[in-house]
Amino acid sequence: MLEQAVIYLFAALVLSGGLMAAWTRHILYAIIGLGISLFGVAGLFLYLGSPFLAAMQLLIYLGGITVAIVFAMMLSIAMTVTPPERNRAKTVFAAVCTAAFGLGVFQLVRAARFPAVSPAPEEAWSVGAIGHALLTHYNLVFETLSVVLLLAIMGAILIARPQRKAAS
Amino acid sequence: MTLEGYLTLSLMLFCIGVFAVLSQRNLIAVLIGVELMMNAASLNVMAFNRFSVTDPTTGQIFVLIIIGLAAAEVAIFLSIIVNLYRTRRTIDAEQLTELQG
Amino acid sequence: MDTLNLILATTFAPFAAFVLAILFLMRQPRLAQVVVIAGGTLSLGGAVSLLSAGPVEPLRFLWFTSGDIQLRFGFLLDGLSLMFGVAVALITLCVMVYSLGYMGHDPSKTRYFAMLALFEWAMLSFVYAVDLMQTFIFWELVGLASFFLIGFWYEKPSATAAAKKAFLMTRVGDVGLFIGVLMVLQVAGHFDVPGLLATEGGLVAQATPAVLTTITLLIFVGIVGKSAQFPLHTWLPDAMEGPTPVSALLHSATMVAAGVYLMARLHPLFMGSETTLGIILIVASMTALLAATMAMVATDIKRVLAYSSISQLGFMLLGLAAGSLFAGVFHLITHALFKALLFLCSGLFIHHLETNDMAQIGRGGGRRMRFATAGLVVGGAALAGIPPLGGFFSKEEIFAALGHDGVILFSVVALLAAFLTAYYTFRMIFLVTRPQQVEEVDVHGDHDRAEPLSMALPVMLLTVGAAVAGFWGGDIARGLGIEAGHHSLAAMAPALAVVALGVLVAWLDFGRQSATRTGFIARMPALEKLFTNGWYIDAFYDAIIVRITMLAATILHAAESRLLDANFDRLGFGVLGLGSGTRRLQNGWVQFYGGWAVVLVGLAAAYFGMSD
Repeated sequence: MLEQAVIYLFAALVLSGGLMAAWTRHILYAIIGLGISLFGVAGLFLYLGSPFLAAMQLLIYLGGITVAIVFAMMLSIAMTVTPPERNRAKTVFAAVCTAAFGLGVFQLVRAARFPAVSPAPEEAWSVGAIGHALLTHYNLVFETLSVVLLLAIMGAILIARPQRKAAS
Repeated sequence: MTLEGYLTLSLMLFCIGVFAVLSQRNLIAVLIGVELMMNAASLNVMAFNRFSVTDPTTGQIFVLIIIGLAAAEVAIFLSIIVNLYRTRRTIDAEQLTELQG
Repeated sequence: MDTLNLILATTFAPFAAFVLAILFLMRQPRLAQVVVIAGGTLSLGGAVSLLSAGPVEPLRFLWFTSGDIQLRFGFLLDGLSLMFGVAVALITLCVMVYSLGYMGHDPSKTRYFAMLALFEWAMLSFVYAVDLMQTFIFWELVGLASFFLIGFWYEKPSATAAAKKAFLMTRVGDVGLFIGVLMVLQVAGHFDVPGLLATEGGLVAQATPAVLTTITLLIFVGIVGKSAQFPLHTWLPDAMEGPTPVSALLHSATMVAAGVYLMARLHPLFMGSETTLGIILIVASMTALLAATMAMVATDIKRVLAYSSISQLGFMLLGLAAGSLFAGVFHLITHALFKALLFLCSGLFIHHLETNDMAQIGRGGGRRMRFATAGLVVGGAALAGIPPLGGFFSKEEIFAALGHDGVILFSVVALLAAFLTAYYTFRMIFLVTRPQQVEEVDVHGDHDRAEPLSMALPVMLLTVGAAVAGFWGGDIARGLGIEAGHHSLAAMAPALAVVALGVLVAWLDFGRQSATRTGFIARMPALEKLFTNGWYIDAFYDAIIVRITMLAATILHAAESRLLDANFDRLGFGVLGLGSGTRRLQNGWVQFYGGWAVVLVGLAAAYFGMSD
């Protein structure tokens, strides 16, 4: 019972954080909304059986990505001083598109039948199992992810570095 | 919560993310929308991982990879924003319309 | 030289000259003139050699086969074609030499001479043709050459209008001719002229009388158009817009004579249908009289000669329709000679005195131009029918034929027309040679001779020809395979009487010193007005046919531009509008594009959800 309530609380956090992030005109509130939502997602991960992932979510998303976003916000501060006007037509259009999409996929979700499977034993959820899989079965993905991250860092540096003056 | 509940929840979060991407003017807010969408996807995967799969390791690794890729993507996105701001002094999505016509 | 090579040289030498002139010699008028005259000389030499060699078997070549029908082309070398071929080649060469002087200062000489060469090729091929379809093709080509030559000075709107009118009116006749020719094919199965004319197995034997009448009538419609008979005669006076040598060649001697020649060629067919002959008699006699009335009030010398040609062509058709092939052909040949002569003389006057008006020519001292005056008098006398010149004998044959025919009405009409012929001819001569006073006007200045050699020489030649042509009657008859009859003086009396009367009245009106120079017709002003306006036929055509056609053209043009063009334009603009509308979708807002992508995914998901 309590468990259910907590799950619903986290779900509420997720949604309300997301709504705040999507609706506000001030960028800082959006980032805060994102943070709340991510926190809620981490909680849901916990109740879905993976504390490790909850921890990773908090670490990486809240600790890394959100902070990076705050940095970027501060580097482009001009737009945050006066929050821009909301374009009514654009909002309506976005809402309609979202609604169409949502209804379509909801239809799909409702029509789908997923076979029930008995839950796995506790040991399967351990971090050790994850680590083992990462280094054996999913090694390629792991290594590729590393390369991707390396490339992302290089790309980010390349794009964001100050331009050289004139011709070479 | 049941599987359908989690799926519906993740769908709602995804739609919120789509709305943010489509309606926000600040590019950083668009980035936030993208992050929301990715989180919704992760939630979806974790829900299936819990209810429909025999070996739950795969799902968790999937989500790890998603988180890692999201981080890489944010890095690139933010560097682009910095570059844009430096050259054009604006990161307003409605003013970046060079593909018009 | 064998016959095939001779005939090919005769007909194709002018064509080669035409091609050379048009393609290569547009910048070298002198060389073009030489080339064309060389071609004309070759043609004449060839024609004379062929004539002296006498009639031979026809030459036929297969052009193409279509099912059961075989289209041939070839050459028919019998007395008629050989004689008329020489006449055509001779007159053409005279006109070409004459044009050296007449068109000497014209900037477009090459085009003129090239068109003359084109005409000669078409005309000679027409004369020597053995296949009826070949005849028709060259009949049309001759009309085309006429169009080019009438409208030669195309900057003059009156000339282009006249060329258009000539072409369209002869076209109307050509429709009839074409249908007739096709009906021949349907009945006989082939176009071969000797085969059609044969007494056994020819068209007369194969066709029912009704069909034969229809065919001959349709062919006659073509003749009416080409030979300017009533009611398709109004184009010929307007055709005088062309240069005078062209009028001499095409519109008196050869092209308009093509109709008469066709009837002579197909004479056995026409003789097989009494109805057609009757209709031809009516039309031809009407035309002869009508045109003569219009000639007697005309003031422009070329117009007098044009109306005269129409009238004389009527005479020729009268002779043919009365049953005498010899009468029609004899008059055809004599008329070719003296009418060409008359036109060339008028050209001398026009060239030197720069006026077409006869009274002005007289006042300007036309009398002093000796060759022109001599030619005018000789040719005029031949035209009027004064013995012993050519026109008398040939007209005599026509009267004899009409007399045999039995119906008095046609003889009376013909005699009346002959009276008017003599009258208007001598009216013309007296106006030019015996004016009231002569002014000393030298239009050209001293540096130009009044009668340069290039123009005087052909005139001299034709003068002699017109004078002696009458005595060739026997030869012509033999060439046609007919025995020329001898006429008693009593039979010739009516013709002589009307000619004498005509000359006398002309003398009284124009010739003697105290003459009023207005003509007896001035006493009947209503008639004079009628004749001067061409019996209002042209006005009638303008009011009815031209107006209606222009109205139809205006309506169709409006329909085309408002219905068709406008809708095509709408189609084009519609596409453009669609494009520019669709273009607004590309507003450069990525979020706008993304929205649509999202919607599509949603729709796809819904589809999958439903179909599952």
